[in-house]
Amino acid sequence: MTTLTDRYVYATSRSVPSGRRDEIAAELRASIADMVEARTADGASADDAEREVLTGLGDPRSLAAQYADRPRQLIGPAYYDTWLGLMTLLVPLVPAVVATIVAVVGVVDDAPFGTIVGDVVGALIGTAVQVAFWTTLTFAVLDRLVPEPPIGEWDVSSLPEVPGHREITLADTGPSIAFLVLAVAFLPWQHFRSWVEDAGGDRVPLLDPDLWASWLPVVVVLLLMEIGLEVAKYRAGRWTVGHAVVNAVLAIGFAAVVVPLLLGERLLNPELVQRYTWLGDHLDTVMTASAVGVVLVGLWEIGDAFWRATRRTGSSAA
Amino acid sequence: MDIDDVLRTHVQELRRGTVVIASLVALRRPGYGYGLLQSLGDHGFAVDANTLYPLLRRLEDQGLLTSDWNTEESRPRKIYRTSEAGGSVLARLLDELAAIDTSVHGLIEGDPA
Repeated sequence: MTTLTDRYVYATSRSVPSGRRDEIAAELRASIADMVEARTADGASADDAEREVLTGLGDPRSLAAQYADRPRQLIGPAYYDTWLGLMTLLVPLVPAVVATIVAVVGVVDDAPFGTIVGDVVGALIGTAVQVAFWTTLTFAVLDRLVPEPPIGEWDVSSLPEVPGHREITLADTGPSIAFLVLAVAFLPWQHFRSWVEDAGGDRVPLLDPDLWASWLPVVVVLLLMEIGLEVAKYRAGRWTVGHAVVNAVLAIGFAAVVVPLLLGERLLNPELVQRYTWLGDHLDTVMTASAVGVVLVGLWEIGDAFWRATRRTGSSAA
Repeated sequence: MDIDDVLRTHVQELRRGTVVIASLVALRRPGYGYGLLQSLGDHGFAVDANTLYPLLRRLEDQGLLTSDWNTEESRPRKIYRTSEAGGSVLARLLDELAAIDTSVHGLIEGDPA
């Protein structure tokens, strides 16, 4: 029958790197024996002494962690603030957006109200859990693999604006986010509830349905990231160069996806093009004009963002 | 947190910072885990066993202690001893400790230097 000491030494040494396991076990055994001996010399019974000594040494897992010098935390100080900031941003935001889409799809499908509510609640909870889990897991892995965060040093220019001196107010951000959410919701809406009908009375989606398998999810992700950028801008109260860079990346990404689709005539649903002969006849003109439009708007957005981020503000004197 | 708890946490911090010095000093003569625990306790350094034992290994990993297994007695024991590197690190640490003591006394006496 194994003694308590045997079990304790086993419990400690099994979580220790295997190279040193035997030596640690042997040393620990000797130390425990010494401590027990000291107590029995004072008159305690062998069993009581053993119990007291092992209790005093504490949870073998904690002891093992000390021997292994392992970090006993999921996310350490280096990454904690970044993780927390990202969580407070994403966990409310992403479920809200997804739930809105679910609600729109439900309404569009003429689902009963109870089902829509159930789906929305399910989406809220499910998405929140997923976002929380994957964000935390990513940071836990980062904390272990990349001990020095590659994030740049904090710099004075990333200070948030004091309320009352904001350049970007809720009146700016609110409509922007609402517009982006509607844009995201538009995508399933145009698929299910387009106003165009074909000969058989079925609804004709505006955008090519095949795109759902390839580029439309990318567009949705880009729009979600733009929402995230709007929130970040609002919390800072002003445009920073960091915001301008992210904005540029998203604008370029959006153009890189949409412009080839336009020029390749793959954005619109072929059925829609057949339905409207004027569209079919002038398709390349319309598509080219739209592509040029997207590029020009994108360039203007990028330039505007950088201009706002780098100009000096006259009113809030340093 | 009442004042006794506050005091206890700060004393703990102070002790935690100096147990390495105490161990390096004590192990200038060869010693083993439990023996060192007793020795430190007798001199007012009450350390927990589950802190001291891993600490000894860590100091050995850092090259400040050397070890040997003593198989002469009925119970084989791992004997530690302060290494040469450990000795010079200890000398530096003792200097630092003295410097801290001087600084604190300087502050107490209001000496701006």
